[in-house]
Amino acid sequence: MLARDAESLFWSGRYLERAEDTARLLDVTYHGMLETTPDEEALAWNDVLAALRLDGVYAKTGRPLTATAVCEFLVLDTTNAGSILSAVGQARENARTVREQLSTELWETLNSFCLELRARNLRADLEFQPHELYGMVRRQCQTVAGVAAETMSRDEGWRFFVLGWNLERAEMSCRLLSARYRQLSPSAFHQWMGTLRSASGLEAYRRTYRASMDPADVVEFLLLSRTFPRSVLFSLRTAENALARLAPDGELTRPLRQLGRVRAGLEFADVRELMQGDLGEELWVVEEGIRQVAASVATQYFSNSREFDLHSVHLMPGEGGRP
Amino acid sequence: MRLDIRYRTAFTYENLVRESQNELRACPASDEQQELIAYRVYVAPSARVYSFTDYWGTRVDSFGVRLPHVAIEVTAEASVETFLRPQVTVAPHLDSLRDPAYLDAHHEYLQPSPHTDWAEGIATEAARQRDLIGDDVVSLVLALHRVTGARLTYARGATDVGIPVEDVLAQGKGVCQDFAHLAVALCRSQGIPARYVSGYLFTRDDSTGTDVDDVDVVNVQTHAWFEASVPGFGWLALDPTNQQEVGDRHVKIGHGRDYDDVQPLRGVFSGGAAPSVDPHVEIRRVRASDSPPPGERRRDPLQLNELARQQQARDVEARTQHQHQQQQQ
Amino acid sequence: MSSPDGLFTDYRLDGFFDEVFDAEGHCRPHYAPLLARLTGFTPDDLMRRTRLRDAAFRSQGITFTVYDEGEGIERTFPMDLLPRIVPADEWSHIEAGLVQRVSALNSFLDDLYVGEGAAIHDGIIPSWVVKSSDGFCREAFGIPVPLGARCLVAGVDLVRDGEGTYRVLEDNLRNPSGISYVIENRVAMTRVLPSVFADQQVRPVDHYGRSLLNALHRVAPPASSDRPTVVVLTPGVFNSAYFEHVFLASQMGVELVEGRDLVVDDHVVSMRTTQGLQRVDVIYRRIDDDFLDPVPFRTDSTLGVPGLMAAARAGNVTIANAVGNGVADDKAVYAYVPDFIRYYTGEEPILPNVTTYLLWDDDQRNEVLDRLDQLVIKPVAEAGGYGIVIGPAASDEDLATCRRQILEDPRNYIAQEVVALSRHPSLVEDHVEGRHVDLRPFVLSGEDIEVIPGGLTRVAMRRGSLVVNSSQGGGSKDTWVLAGAPGDGDDVAGSDHEAR
Repeated sequence: MLARDAESLFWSGRYLERAEDTARLLDVTYHGMLETTPDEEALAWNDVLAALRLDGVYAKTGRPLTATAVCEFLVLDTTNAGSILSAVGQARENARTVREQLSTELWETLNSFCLELRARNLRADLEFQPHELYGMVRRQCQTVAGVAAETMSRDEGWRFFVLGWNLERAEMSCRLLSARYRQLSPSAFHQWMGTLRSASGLEAYRRTYRASMDPADVVEFLLLSRTFPRSVLFSLRTAENALARLAPDGELTRPLRQLGRVRAGLEFADVRELMQGDLGEELWVVEEGIRQVAASVATQYFSNSREFDLHSVHLMPGEGGRP
Repeated sequence: MRLDIRYRTAFTYENLVRESQNELRACPASDEQQELIAYRVYVAPSARVYSFTDYWGTRVDSFGVRLPHVAIEVTAEASVETFLRPQVTVAPHLDSLRDPAYLDAHHEYLQPSPHTDWAEGIATEAARQRDLIGDDVVSLVLALHRVTGARLTYARGATDVGIPVEDVLAQGKGVCQDFAHLAVALCRSQGIPARYVSGYLFTRDDSTGTDVDDVDVVNVQTHAWFEASVPGFGWLALDPTNQQEVGDRHVKIGHGRDYDDVQPLRGVFSGGAAPSVDPHVEIRRVRASDSPPPGERRRDPLQLNELARQQQARDVEARTQHQHQQQQQ
Repeated sequence: MSSPDGLFTDYRLDGFFDEVFDAEGHCRPHYAPLLARLTGFTPDDLMRRTRLRDAAFRSQGITFTVYDEGEGIERTFPMDLLPRIVPADEWSHIEAGLVQRVSALNSFLDDLYVGEGAAIHDGIIPSWVVKSSDGFCREAFGIPVPLGARCLVAGVDLVRDGEGTYRVLEDNLRNPSGISYVIENRVAMTRVLPSVFADQQVRPVDHYGRSLLNALHRVAPPASSDRPTVVVLTPGVFNSAYFEHVFLASQMGVELVEGRDLVVDDHVVSMRTTQGLQRVDVIYRRIDDDFLDPVPFRTDSTLGVPGLMAAARAGNVTIANAVGNGVADDKAVYAYVPDFIRYYTGEEPILPNVTTYLLWDDDQRNEVLDRLDQLVIKPVAEAGGYGIVIGPAASDEDLATCRRQILEDPRNYIAQEVVALSRHPSLVEDHVEGRHVDLRPFVLSGEDIEVIPGGLTRVAMRRGSLVVNSSQGGGSKDTWVLAGAPGDGDDVAGSDHEAR
């Protein structure tokens, strides 16, 4: 398929997942902070920004680390390409250019999601009913995912969509864990519950680990679970599956090799060893690996697709040197 | 006169350029005044050249470079024999310009074109010359040619590409291209078909057209002049910049309605900033007992490109990462 | 009206040639089955089905965009539920006329761009008319098209005058659009009003994709493989006809690309795919000449492909429709097309032009200026119905402006007799009224010249209006060509038949 179309589908998937994960993270953070002091609050919000790798960018804006300011930045600020509003808009724009490859229902679902979001008074939502808003975003993203799964043919375009979506999920989950693992102590368990909730994984966790409050169990669940769809390993395996089917004749392409290595590293990891070692470092390596895979995917499949910025050239007789 | 011409243009870019597509019009024509003996064109970095003749009868060499590069050099080498031109012996009346068949045949050279869109200023000047000279086509053409030289001073860098010809007249200065456009506009405003000519001039000094009896090799730029149609004679060629009749030291590449139809080099490139362009024309008179001259030393584009490629490999990694991050934010 | 009552009881002819009813108010034989089927339908029924069809089109995105002061508004092209029916013998006549005309136009264009320009040398058309045409493209000189099929897709607009004679109103040889509506309207009709198709043999139109692809294959460069790669080149989502580009690519099963998806290397065109570069042999382009390639044309265009023209010249890719066709659908050149037909085919034109006056001819201009309020004045350089002055409907002020413009620039204007366009019963709110219609058949040039049965019937939606373009509020009708019975060809009336 056209390189440009593949790239659009890939990024559509990425942006949708980004919007959903941001909403999840904010929902949980906001409610976990109802009883904190202003200092703790500032720190907590900085953690959120760090989890999204936006702490540096935010610091440059000079805005305060308060709930209102940070949430506005992450939800409705269109100068922030990672805000929910921006991300959903980008998902829609990318989908629009390949609209004829999507089912009518998928386009209509995504399109109306975007229009609804734009029509809302997001500032008022953030002030009076943030939980409503985050819930709406999460549900809409899940609806789009559901419609996509039900109506898209399993062709090349679908695989790029799935690939983008799952790489983003894996990366975001990694970052989330990264931001939280430092608060590893049984007494901070209510924060861990929040983290599990934000991943919609609290019930699944309890079914597997019962009432365990051992941080290692939480890490194992969110990082290494083979059955929970939002775990890092699960997302990577889904992505790898899609990537394998994109390679003609089972060829081992560069992104596939890289992704395989990252996935294998987690596949055979022992959570006890991880907890005893430098978990932060390990998570960083995984995150880096995922970023490299995304870059390789671009080189392998999209590098042919480039925007043309044209300049024209003409020579005048009698003229020379710098124009 | 037998002349060997080497036309070379080098482009150097500040940043890596991914792609470049171009059309070169540098090949001398073959007509009654000159005969093309040999011609070849080559490009570095290497590119296949596809050649054809365009609507105006000019040879075009088209080529594209799709490797990342920071420099391109295109070279055209031609050997041409020029002949002396016949004198004008007819003296047609201006009325002969209005013959319907004549008008139809010269329609394209009578209309305003982007670079010869005349208005009040030019029309007035041309009419003034007509009142002074009378109804003789040849005399009027010569008068318009003279007045072009009188109203303009040669000055490089004074004008931009695309400056309206009325402004050229108003500012009173320009380069050979502007002189040619003004002369063409003056003629057309009086119903005399006229066309723009691109070519080379074997001269010591571009702006004075000084003869080169004592020198056999000169370094100049491409040149522009014009031709006016004289009923019963054909095209009368005049060089308004140097105020002389076009003779055997002029080598014609081609003609058109104006500069746009016969640009020496036009094209597009992508990525990177504006290029610094370095055109050179070297013309050598060939006498019977000559041997080939030494070539000029110049920066090797291939070397520049190799260095650039090594740098590129280092840059691509960094840039992809950066881009990736940007998209993420 | 002697017809099933209800729908047509108050229907009036108003002196116009009517497609359905003859001058005495009797239903023409080929409409009888349809009218019989419509008995029992009320205007409300039909309006409801119309709304259904509109809603379906809107949600499927079968829309076009009208730009008004920079704002893009999505519109569906309204379809009137009462189909237009052309009987087999009438269609044979139209078809023969179209094949003859397009053949002559192809010959003229080939002669002009790669031939000797014989038509000019032999005085069939003045050189200045050709050379001052906006559509005359010097950059297309010397670029050959296999089979000389320059008008790969032609849309010839036909009207029917007060006597019922079909005349050519204008040719569209560059980017004629509307075929998607022809096909989608037929599909919609079979869904919302299937019963009217019973007892009739309506010739299908859904083979268009196949026919178009065949024609495109036929014009592939000699050096390409047995299965040439064809693409549809679109300016992108912001183009008002984008839906049709998507439609065509999908009907043919080929890729829809934008300029940035194509690249020229060593004068060969390829498209950028996820598996690398894939060579392209034929480009069905829906981009205007000026924007195709920034090297010879507008350098500010980002819609095109740098180096494309050089690749076409080198014979490595075929551009369809060919570059430079605009000179032949120029309003000034239009007047000479009957002469082209005589010159290139040796035959008399089967389909006449609308009587046209050339305002650069002193005699014709003076006569026209005397009768300005009775004629239609058209600027040569405008498209889409803009700039036209309809004498009988214009104010004194407009006529005065028009006169001044003609005198200032006579070579930019032609005048035509007002054609009393035929009318067709159309659904207007809660009843049926006559509305002016025209017909745009689509003609494909490949190995042979093929005409798609029917075409787009456009309807002027406002009472009395003669303007049918989509951009100015027109609508459409499903157009039926009835299949002839076996042996019917021998019964075609007309002295020309006997003369053979």
